Amino acid sequence: MNNSTETVGAKLAEILTEYLKNNWVNSPSNKRTISAVTNMVADLQLDSFQVMEFMLEVEDHFDVAIDLESLSNIQTIKDLAGVVIAAQQE
Amino acid sequence: MTLLDKFSVAEQLKSGLANVGKDPTSVVFDAINSATEAVVEGRTTILAGTNNYLGLTFDPDCINAGVTALQSQGTGTTGSRMANGSYAAHGQLEAELADFFQCPNAMVFSTGYAANLGVLTALLGKGDVVLLDSDAHASLYDGCRMSGADIYRFKHNDLQSLERRLTRLQDRASHCLIVVEGMYSVLGDCAPLAEIVKLKERFGAKLLVDEAHSLGVYGERGCGVAEAQGVLDKVDFIVGTFSKSLGAMGGFCASKHDVLGLFRYVSRPFMFTASPSPAVMATTREALHQLRTRPELKEALWSNARQLYSGLQDLGFELGPEISPVVAVRCKERETALSKWNQLLEAGVYVNMMLPPATPGGASFLRCSISAAHTSEQIETIIHKFMELRQ
Repeated sequence: MNNSTETVGAKLAEILTEYLKNNWVNSPSNKRTISAVTNMVADLQLDSFQVMEFMLEVEDHFDVAIDLESLSNIQTIKDLAGVVIAAQQE
Repeated sequence: MTLLDKFSVAEQLKSGLANVGKDPTSVVFDAINSATEAVVEGRTTILAGTNNYLGLTFDPDCINAGVTALQSQGTGTTGSRMANGSYAAHGQLEAELADFFQCPNAMVFSTGYAANLGVLTALLGKGDVVLLDSDAHASLYDGCRMSGADIYRFKHNDLQSLERRLTRLQDRASHCLIVVEGMYSVLGDCAPLAEIVKLKERFGAKLLVDEAHSLGVYGERGCGVAEAQGVLDKVDFIVGTFSKSLGAMGGFCASKHDVLGLFRYVSRPFMFTASPSPAVMATTREALHQLRTRPELKEALWSNARQLYSGLQDLGFELGPEISPVVAVRCKERETALSKWNQLLEAGVYVNMMLPPATPGGASFLRCSISAAHTSEQIETIIHKFMELRQ
């Protein structure tokens, strides 16, 4: 798998868009375009529950384990891409 | 941004709740008439959200045991067992719990929350791994976080999700603790413990089950979901509380592992807090005795649970996935849930308001918990009041 930050970030944006569409159909976040610089809390106003549930999808897609503690340092899709790549290399 | 500015979020939450009606966090029971009835703002109110599953809070023998202990041993222990020593009742209750769960070790904590913190922080440390069900109670999350272990979540009650994560851990799986609940408190659904036990054995992990809401509710002897699914002896650590089926307060851990005895020397939530008071120990011991000797309590509880579940189901409400003493009515919108909750309270029925993010799927629920002490007429009244919500 090509694991550049851009590639992983693009895939994450895709997974998040899908996740919000499937699970939070009425969320105003669905109307926004998600990109690498999207801040999941400030821009999309996801709550802690939504971020954690999204993370379960991310773990399964990339077949990685992301420690709950890592979430506190993640704000943007790009931050998350960095965590996913680090987890792939472990 | 000053130190206190962050409370503006809580302030907004509080105002939002008050705008819809009464704030669910500030209900006051002016009088408690019985295990199932109270007075709220002058109205006689059916209590259908108290987790008083066996209805023992007004049991005459439990009350007598508490009064006797108060008179003979005083109001409190005034300190921790580590510093001030143990009362005989602490050890007696631990022996009775060990006997009840048919395992060699049991330990009493001051609250259920402290039990989870105390066990998890003693058991886990840096370098260890926890696999935590995503719907686990806040006390389990907090205990795991405090321990310093690496925490990974798996999808609620999803065996495939758990197996995938165990597989990813590779060699670390043998340092892993799987943390689940017997019956989950919001929807009343149960963990597939028999299958989880198979996975934990295959990967060499350990298993902790929180039976806070299932003690006295599931299993022939009332030990909980692990007993009901025939795997009580396979679970490594069982934790629970005295504040629900046993109608008191406090928490416990029971285990087949002798290391539990050493937790007394390393578990800070055990070591640095006051031990349970004599009256609490006495009522808990008597309630445990009642649980063990009066199977009719459990039968009455389940009969009431079936009556409420089928009554609300017939009315077309969206409920949790299985019949249990927790019957949760799903509401589409948070505001709808708040408004319906207020209507129920004004109609004389108290239920729990469960709002996101502390709820599965981020949904809002009107959560009823049923008691063996409810009468069939009270259950009918609850159903009727829910029916009125639809009109």
